[in-house]
Amino acid sequence: MKWWILGPEIYFLVVAVVFLTLSMTRHNGRRDFSAALFLAGLGVALTLATVRLEVSMVYGAYRVDLFSQVFKGMLSMGFFLVVSLCSNLNGIREGRHSEFYLLLTTCTLGMMLLVSSQELLTMYVALELASYSLYALVPMRSGAGQQMEAGIKYFLIGIATSALMLFGMASLFAATQTTLISELSLKLPGLLNTPMAFIGLLLTLCGFFFKLALFPFHVWAPSVYQGAANQVTAFVATATKVIAMAMLARLVSTTDGNTSLARVLIALAIISMTYGNLVALVQKDFKRLLAYSAIAHAGYALIGILSMNPTGYAAVVFYAVAYLAMTFTCFLVVVRVSADGRDLSIVQLAGLHRRSPLLAMTLMVGVFSLGGIPPTIGFTGKFLVFTAAMQKGYFLLVLIAMINVVVSLYYYIQVVRATFLLEPEEELPPINLSAPTTILAALMIVVIVAGGIFPRYLFQLAGATVQALP
Amino acid sequence: MEFAGFPYLSTILLSCVVGLLVILFIPRERESLVKWVSLVFSGIALALSIYVYCAYDRAHGGLQFVEKLQWVEPVGIHYFNGADGFNLPLILLTGIVHFTGVLTMWELRERVKEFFAFAFVLVLGVFGFFMSMDLFFLFVWYDVSLFPMYPLIAIWGTTRKEYGALKLFLYLLAGSALVLPGIVYLSVASGLHTFDIVALMQPGALTPGQQKFAFLLFYLGFGILAGVWPFHTWSPVGHVAAPTSVSMIHAGVLMKVGAFGILRVGIFLCPLGWEYWAPVMAILATIGIIYGVFVGLTQTDLKYVVAYSSVSHMGIVGLGLSTVTAEGLNGAVFQMFAHGIMTALLFSSLGYIYDKTHTKLIPDLGGMSKVMPVASGYFIVAALAGMGVPGFASFWAEVTVFISAFRVYPALGALAICALVLSALYMLRVVQRVFYGQRNERYAHLRDVSLGLGLPRMILVATMLLFGLFPRLMLDLVQTAAIPFMGGLPR
Repeated sequence: MKWWILGPEIYFLVVAVVFLTLSMTRHNGRRDFSAALFLAGLGVALTLATVRLEVSMVYGAYRVDLFSQVFKGMLSMGFFLVVSLCSNLNGIREGRHSEFYLLLTTCTLGMMLLVSSQELLTMYVALELASYSLYALVPMRSGAGQQMEAGIKYFLIGIATSALMLFGMASLFAATQTTLISELSLKLPGLLNTPMAFIGLLLTLCGFFFKLALFPFHVWAPSVYQGAANQVTAFVATATKVIAMAMLARLVSTTDGNTSLARVLIALAIISMTYGNLVALVQKDFKRLLAYSAIAHAGYALIGILSMNPTGYAAVVFYAVAYLAMTFTCFLVVVRVSADGRDLSIVQLAGLHRRSPLLAMTLMVGVFSLGGIPPTIGFTGKFLVFTAAMQKGYFLLVLIAMINVVVSLYYYIQVVRATFLLEPEEELPPINLSAPTTILAALMIVVIVAGGIFPRYLFQLAGATVQALP
Repeated sequence: MEFAGFPYLSTILLSCVVGLLVILFIPRERESLVKWVSLVFSGIALALSIYVYCAYDRAHGGLQFVEKLQWVEPVGIHYFNGADGFNLPLILLTGIVHFTGVLTMWELRERVKEFFAFAFVLVLGVFGFFMSMDLFFLFVWYDVSLFPMYPLIAIWGTTRKEYGALKLFLYLLAGSALVLPGIVYLSVASGLHTFDIVALMQPGALTPGQQKFAFLLFYLGFGILAGVWPFHTWSPVGHVAAPTSVSMIHAGVLMKVGAFGILRVGIFLCPLGWEYWAPVMAILATIGIIYGVFVGLTQTDLKYVVAYSSVSHMGIVGLGLSTVTAEGLNGAVFQMFAHGIMTALLFSSLGYIYDKTHTKLIPDLGGMSKVMPVASGYFIVAALAGMGVPGFASFWAEVTVFISAFRVYPALGALAICALVLSALYMLRVVQRVFYGQRNERYAHLRDVSLGLGLPRMILVATMLLFGLFPRLMLDLVQTAAIPFMGGLPR
């Protein structure tokens, strides 16, 4: 075994050790940020360098393939982007900055192990490594009680779903006598008509439904989005969602197109997107609004997974990239507008078009992309997902999803309205963006629009990626 | 990849994109520079659309100026533009209306840069929609043309602007919510896994049952945008709220996007569904014609009168489409063009009066022809055209539609013609109350429209007269598409 096949994992372990050491020295926020930014950038380069590798190790329990490496690439990218938002980490006390980066790194490491794991228990351990880092990150914010509520909610619901997941894995093992995904994919299709295997699989999926904030495991999302520090929320909203989509695709693909599972998932998708969109209509806080929109997007992403065909899985990979880009874009604006690290209500966006035309433009592009208006990457993602569902003949599902898209546009347009039309009650100073932030914002606009207009290469990559699935 | 010579159609799109980018990089204080840049690039687009219109080989017919390249192979998406007798008039219309719209807004003072930038996005979407022969791109352009409407109306509009903007936006996107499943359904149900309209048009690609179902989706989805009764309610509110040039583009061009969508997607790809639903279309269109006339009769706001006249005139387009004859299609396309120019002129001349008097309520105005005779003249000319007076383009369009409608649906045709006689009544009522009668002294000091500001109106009047006096310039062109299309239908 060549050690560099595990390059990204080893690298992030080293980064974690670096921050562990730094957390024991004198606190210096500036130094921590520079170190984190540099290490994260290097991590992206390193991860992308290993994309083409392919190997299976530890008796098939751990597998490096295009699917896992592409998602590791997305993860390291997400990590880098979130770190780049941390130049003014005002939501978190300066003394804790090193720990903040440490936990962010271990969480990324856990998720990297997760996408490569090909065995249920490995999967569970990796998931818990990621989860426990987040349990600590969420309540880390300085301020009044809100973050504790968020932390407790996240923790309790998280361990409850972990328990469900373990129970599901036990049932799966009892039904199939294996914990290896490769063997599951051979045995499971024939066994899914037995209650034990079916329930087992469904409960195993629950762990990832929780991460994706899919109904009925969504209750934590609004509190956590609002209660956690803006940068932590950005990480929860982007990286963990992407990994949840990947893992759901990997697990569901073992069933070889089971219709009763598809039916359950259809129900969950419809409820999730309808519920998320309807509740989002009345939100006042921007991060809460994004939380409900995330619940709705969990439903859209699930449509690609439940189609259970190669187009569907490829569409989900595409959607994951799109979701990472557009959600991050919204959080970029949140972090820059609320420079003091406080929550941002929608009315506080008033007058943004004069305070910073670029941020206003960035927000509009990001929000329209979430709303699925072409020519943005969000539209193309939805389009591919719907095409996959249509190939399976789920016409009604696509129609319901489209109606949901129209409903969601109402609240997205409220954000645009606040940004471009409302005038603030008192004159607010212009927001001065540093050169890197300006470049980052412009880059995100370009990525979102270019991904919408030229989806070809990304889609080809996604198509190649899912060939690694069973 | 397949290119027939120089890509004129893409260059039209490119001129909008470049115009947009140039505007984005101009500092916002340089307002007149923004306007000049808009004028130049909209002028390039207009010149190219005139060139394409004239250079189209009528003897040869079919799809010309084809530009086709693979975009996303696994899903069957192509970048595919082409021009035929159906879309050329509308490309020309878009060019004219945008160019005159820029001139009409020459006196804009508020957030100038953003206005012209959004206007370019809007027009880019409309041009793309008309020339695209790929369903995916068609839909993308459709939505690109919709989303700038919200800021354009909500920021620069007037009466109840935010309500109007939101209502319009959500209504139109609700339409797109039906269209998107429809186009994906066509691609998948045909088994061809392509979004290429020409490929999907081959007979037998879709079963009659699939065509009936899909046509309904497209008719409802695009019908909302075309202002088909009873889905028209967004249109008067939106027109009234919008600033002048947006009303011009909106009523003049965007509603045609809806009607053209029914033609290009619904009728082209689901001809059997078209024949099946045609009677329903005819009934709704006739109701629209009559309804628009009667509601228009009771309005006190000038812009509402014009907006309801649009509902009525778009009903004529719908009636033409519902006849399932080559003449009907011909008349419908001609009517789209004629109505576009006419409505643009109505809104444009009305916009001048509103800019000066700050009112568009009929009772407040009066005797305007004594105050600003030239500006009034433009409105009266447009109103006459709206009544279908011979000599203007709309006369020929309406005559063509009514003759074919009368043959296919005698009762509905007769009703519609009666309603049109009444339309003369409401237009004349407006003309009489606003432009003649007692002069309102409050506005006596106002200046008449200057030569420069009159230019866009002159262009519009000239276009109407040109196609009114020489209707074959257009009818012959549309025929090169309509007759082969009808001939190719399975009977």
